[in-house]
Formats: sequence, structure tokens, C-alpha cells
Amino acid sequence: MAINKHKNILDYTLQSLLRRKFKNTGIILVFTFIIFAVSSIILLSYSLKKEAGMLLKYSPEIIVQKILAGRHELISTKIKNEIMGIPGVSKVEPRYWGYYYDSGVRANYTIIGIGVSGIENNRLIKGRMPSANEKNAAAIGREIADARIIKKDIGDSLNLQNSEGRWMEFKIVGIFESDSEILTADLIIISESAFKSLVGMPEDTATDLAVRVANETEIPTAARKIKELFPYSRPILRDEVIRTYDAVFGWRSGLILAMFAGALAAFIILAWDKATGLSAEEKQEIGILKAIGWETSDILEMKFWEGLVISLTSFMCGLILAYLHIFLLDGFLFAPALKGWSVIYPHFNLAPFIDFYQIAILMAITVLPYIASTIIPSWKASITDPDTVMRG
Amino acid sequence: MRKSTAFFIFITANLAVMAALYIHSLTAVSKHPVFKKEIKEIAEKLRLTDLVLSTDARYTRHPSQADLFSAFQDFPGSIEHFPTGSVIPPPDFSYMRTEIRIYGN
Amino acid sequence: MIKTENITKDFNKGMRDEVTAVKDVSIEINKGDFAVLKGPSGSGKTTLLSLIGCMSRPTSGRVLVENRDVSRLPERFMTKVRRNTFGFIFQQFHLIKGLTVSDNVMLPLYPTDITPSELRKRAEDILNTLGMSDRKKFQVQKLSGGEQQRTAIARALINNPAIILADEPTAHLDTHLSEEFLSIMRNLQQQGKTIVIATHDPLVYEKEYVNLYIEMRDGMVRGAGRKH
Ligand SMILES: Nc1ncnc2c1ncn2[C@@H]1O[C@H](COP(=O)(O)OP(=O)(O)O)[C@@H](O)[C@H]1O
Ligand SMILES: [Mg+2]
Repeated sequence: MAINKHKNILDYTLQSLLRRKFKNTGIILVFTFIIFAVSSIILLSYSLKKEAGMLLKYSPEIIVQKILAGRHELISTKIKNEIMGIPGVSKVEPRYWGYYYDSGVRANYTIIGIGVSGIENNRLIKGRMPSANEKNAAAIGREIADARIIKKDIGDSLNLQNSEGRWMEFKIVGIFESDSEILTADLIIISESAFKSLVGMPEDTATDLAVRVANETEIPTAARKIKELFPYSRPILRDEVIRTYDAVFGWRSGLILAMFAGALAAFIILAWDKATGLSAEEKQEIGILKAIGWETSDILEMKFWEGLVISLTSFMCGLILAYLHIFLLDGFLFAPALKGWSVIYPHFNLAPFIDFYQIAILMAITVLPYIASTIIPSWKASITDPDTVMRG
Repeated sequence: MRKSTAFFIFITANLAVMAALYIHSLTAVSKHPVFKKEIKEIAEKLRLTDLVLSTDARYTRHPSQADLFSAFQDFPGSIEHFPTGSVIPPPDFSYMRTEIRIYGN
Repeated sequence: MIKTENITKDFNKGMRDEVTAVKDVSIEINKGDFAVLKGPSGSGKTTLLSLIGCMSRPTSGRVLVENRDVSRLPERFMTKVRRNTFGFIFQQFHLIKGLTVSDNVMLPLYPTDITPSELRKRAEDILNTLGMSDRKKFQVQKLSGGEQQRTAIARALINNPAIILADEPTAHLDTHLSEEFLSIMRNLQQQGKTIVIATHDPLVYEKEYVNLYIEMRDGMVRGAGRKH
């Protein structure tokens, strides 16, 4: 084993890279940034996908919406019993929810009316949930509490305008802790009856129905049955809910593609610049090395090291920075893309799930092509006879 | 020191940082609220179906509940005025079987 | 030591700009010779030198180095012969800019299994004998012409070659520096090395210790002669 020989060639490669300090640090910076951007997307989307999968597996097995003339419509609660009759269905509960636009901070809240919440002594809630028939109690998301200049706290009041224009006053009895923000940031929870009078919802209607099916395998059959009984309905399966999030954070989603496109373009430009030939100076240098006794394979080894040093350095730094960015700095650079025009949004505290498969693919599609694009153009220069350097 | 040695040290240091981050990820994941029964309780008892990722449009606040309401807003070809709308795809409605059937004679 | 048998070198064969740079050349250079390839510009000196030095292959004919036909060797072996037998001093020096003097000198031996400390010691010894040790940390492009050439000489000597080939070494030097170069070469010859210099500078070929003249014109040997 000629370890020294390989280390010598690497020594020379590094020496040689240092000679063009500006150019090479420039390349490393751009490359690192590309890896950083792409890995940030990978880490962010994978983590959100996993979290969605974990949290939403507790959501109702089926949500039944009513569709009227192609629009979501309030559903009659009277069909409850009929749905209960479907084999496998263990519970049918109306859901009361909607949106409330707060012109004061120009934000949209999600407002939910609940019956008996069944949530007690939950450490992620400071205070408590409103009880079933409480007329003027509300539990609110952390971000709503913090949205105004004067932060709201338990005991403060929250005024909402009802459908007739009158103000209804709610006392804040609970605030969701920030650890639950990914689910609760914009929620206002009030009692079912308060919700109905706030929005002026007709009797015997609900926003939609949550259907519980105890046995996993019976869900699709139950959904089909619901659709048959009530052709105007749209049953949404829990699986679909989870799949929606898989799609949002999957490779092909607009979010991922949009961010990839830029990074990919930059990478291609970088590799293209490499692959489209050597400068006269580099060619001359290869000729000199050959003339003084380097073999073709030595030159190619040097070029291999060159590609490896730059791409591996960039890859590792980019990946490390991406991890810090997404999981320790809350993805502050990318979060705006998700937030859009939102006024209220959660402060991500993402669980650092890592998808090694995607990271490995990223490595394969960046490090390897870069090394190739370093070696291939020097191939030709390295196999020509060195006598060309004797002149000129 | 030989430059090659310095390079190997640098790579090893990077690997060490990555290993440390991996350990961080393992511990952070295991301690993360997403695994707490309290948050599961909230999701279950409030019958929540969506994550709060964005609050600028109905179909980005509740992508899984996004429906056919609001004048074509969810139609794939619709002109979008919310930035997140271009980023969150519309759900698949194909199971609804509301296609138009035209029969000839 | 080196023998060529009827070597010819064509460039751009079959094309409109075909040239025969070297034509039917048979020469013999012995160990310890101080040989001069003499002739006007364009006469084929550089081409012949590169053929002798295993930098290119003849179109026809054979090149024998120590009785071994090298003209048909595979590339790898040709490189080995080149690295183990020859030291080149190019007309333009061909030092690598941005590297220090000692790095340039060590360059030929990087792709061998030598340890860096040994390599550095060798380079230092050679630079010492050439009076360049105080320049070893200088970047080559900051040196004077004479110093650059001495760096190039040192680089040619690092592999302890039996034969030194120099192409127009005095073309860029004033008389004083040319004399200095020649005395270095003379020294090396006295240490038993074979010297081959391509030149049209009388200062070189009029030296009394030059013992082999090969005169070229239009790619052909016009005359060759030995002294002593
Ligand atoms: N690579 C090449 N391609 C085409 N012609 C060449 C090449 N190398 C040398 N020649 C031609 O061969 C002839 C001899 O050149 P050269 O050996 O450089 O002569 P000298 O060194 O004596 O000046 C010249 O006419 C030159 O133009
Ligand atoms: Mg010449």
C-alpha cells in the first residue's frame, strides 16, 4: 500500500486549492449554501410530515361534510342516528367550528364550539377548558394571547362580534401552552351553545360530523355506506387527512419543488462551469505535471481529491448548518414560505426526525456529480502527450 | 502538519459534529411534545384534523378539510392570491364520483 | 545510453498543415556526454528532445534508453522511465505559479511513496547546492529569471536523474547567468550525469567541455561530431 503517495497527492491538491483561495472558497460557499437550502427543506418537510402523521392519527376516523351546489354547507345533526346504524360506527359527534376574522390584528382565528371536552388537568393547557354550557368562557391559543400589544392572560376578556353585530364578552379561562402550538396556535375554544349564538347557527345543524369507527378495517366500508345513504355528503377519511400532509411535504409538492428548483439551478450552473473545460492555465499545469513525471492516473487522482475536498466539505457544512437552522433556530429562513400572509402562526419547535434515505440521495446527486464534473474535463488534458508543454 | 492530515482531521471533526447532532436528534425527538399524551388528548378530544402551519386561507389552514367551497378557490387552475395556496396542493376529490355522464342514443 | 534509430516525427498527419518536425534521425549519446543539439529555430531540436525524453512517441523508428526500446511502451511505463531517468529544464521554466520554490522542486516526487520529511530534506539539499536555500519559501513568480531557472534545475534534479535535458536554457539569461548555468551543468556532468542541451547560443556550444555536437536543420541531422 502506497499510503504516502496518496497523501502526497492530496497534500498537493490542497496546496493547489489554496493557491486559488478566492475562487475555491467562493465555490465552497455557494455549494454549501445549496446543500444547506436543500437539506433544510428535506429536514423541515420530513419532520412536519412525521409530526402530522403522529398527531393526526388521533383525529376522527371519518369527518362527514355536506356539500351543496359544490360548497361546504352546514349538515343536519338529525342524520346522526342513521349513521350510528352503520355497522362498525361507534360514535357520531357534531363538530362546530369556523373562522373568525379579527380586524384588530387582521388575523383569522379558528373558532371551535365544544360540548363536554373531557380535557382535564392537561399540562399543555394553562387554566382549563370552557365547560359544556358556559356562556362566556374561552380557551385560546398561545399566539392569539400574544398577538396584541398587551398580551392576554387568564382572567382577561375577549370580545367577539356575533352575527347580529352585537359584542359578546368571553372570559379567558385557559391558554394552550406553546408546546402544543402546532395544533392550537390560532384556536378559540368556546362552548357549543356559545358558538351557536355567536355565529347564529340554526338548530339541529353542525359544521360537520365526526364519526368514530372502532375497527380500522371497517373505516372504508363505513364511509362508502355514508356516501350511499347521503349522496350529498363528503366523507373525509383519517387516512386521507394524513395523506394530504404526506403530499404537502412530499417531493412533488409545490413547496418542495419551488425551493428545490432554485437550488438545483445553482448547482447545475456550478457543475456546468466545472464540466465545460479547463482554463488554459489548468491545462498547462496538467501538462507540466505530466512532463515532470506524473502519470495520468496520478493527475486523475488529484482531480478526484479536488472534487471530493470541495464537495464533501460543502456537503458536511451545509448539512450541519441546515440541522442547526431547522431544529435549533426554528427554520427562521424558510418558515415565511409556509406562513404566507398569515398573521398568526405557530413558532415551530420541530421534532428533529431525520430521513437518512433522503440525505443519502442528496449526497449521491450532489457529491458524486461534482466529483465527476471535476475529473472528466481533465481527462483529455491528462491523456495527451506532455510534449505540448515543451513549447509555448 | 501535513495538509492531508489537517483535511482528515477536519472531516473527522465534521463527522463528530454530525454524530453529536444525531444524538441530539434522538434525545430531542424522545422528549418532544409530539410524543406526550397531553397533546394526543388535545388532538383527540377537540377532534382536530389539521396542523396550524399557515392561517392565511381556509385551505391552507385546514388542507385536509379543503373542499369545493368558495368559488373555485381549490380548483387546480385557479388564480391564487394567497402565497401558501401555490404551495399546498388541492386534495384529491376523485373518490367523490360526481363526474358528468353523457349517454348517446 | 540513448540511441535513436531512424526516428521520424510527423505532426497533423494527413492534414493540410502536416509537418515533419524530425526526419530519419539516428544519433547516439553516451553516459557522461555533454551533448549539444544545435540548429536554427524550427529545425526540430525541441521535438527531438521530447522524443529522447519519452515525452512523445516517434511516428516511426525506435528510441532506446539504456538498450530498452521505449518508443512502444505503454503510457504508464513511459512515465516511469521518464520520471526515473530524465530531468527536464524547459525553455519557459514551467514552474507552477503560486507555489513556493521548495514545493515546485518537490513536485516530481509527490506521486511516489516518499515521506514528506524525506522529500523536503532532498529538496533542501539540492537547493543548498544551488545556493537557493534562502529563497525556498518564496513564491516562484517573485523570483528573478536566474533564480527561476535554478529552481527549475533543482526540480529536474530531485529524482536524481541520469540524464538532464535542457531546451534553450540560456535564451532568457544574460551572459553572466548563462555562464553560471553552464557551470552548474558542467558540475553535474563531472558527477557522472549525461547532459543534453538544445540551443543555438554560441556561448553554449563553444564551451570546451562540450564533447558531442549534433547539428540539425529542417528536422534532419546535418552533422554530428565528437571531441576527444
Ligand atoms: N505540435 C506541433 N504541431 C505542429 N507542428 C509542430 C508541432 N511541434 C513542432 N511543430 C513544427 O515542427 C518544426 C520543428 O519545431 P521545433 O522542434 O520546435 O524546432 P526548434 O525547437 O528547433 O525551434 C517546426 O516547424 C514547428 O512548427
Ligand atoms: Mg525549440
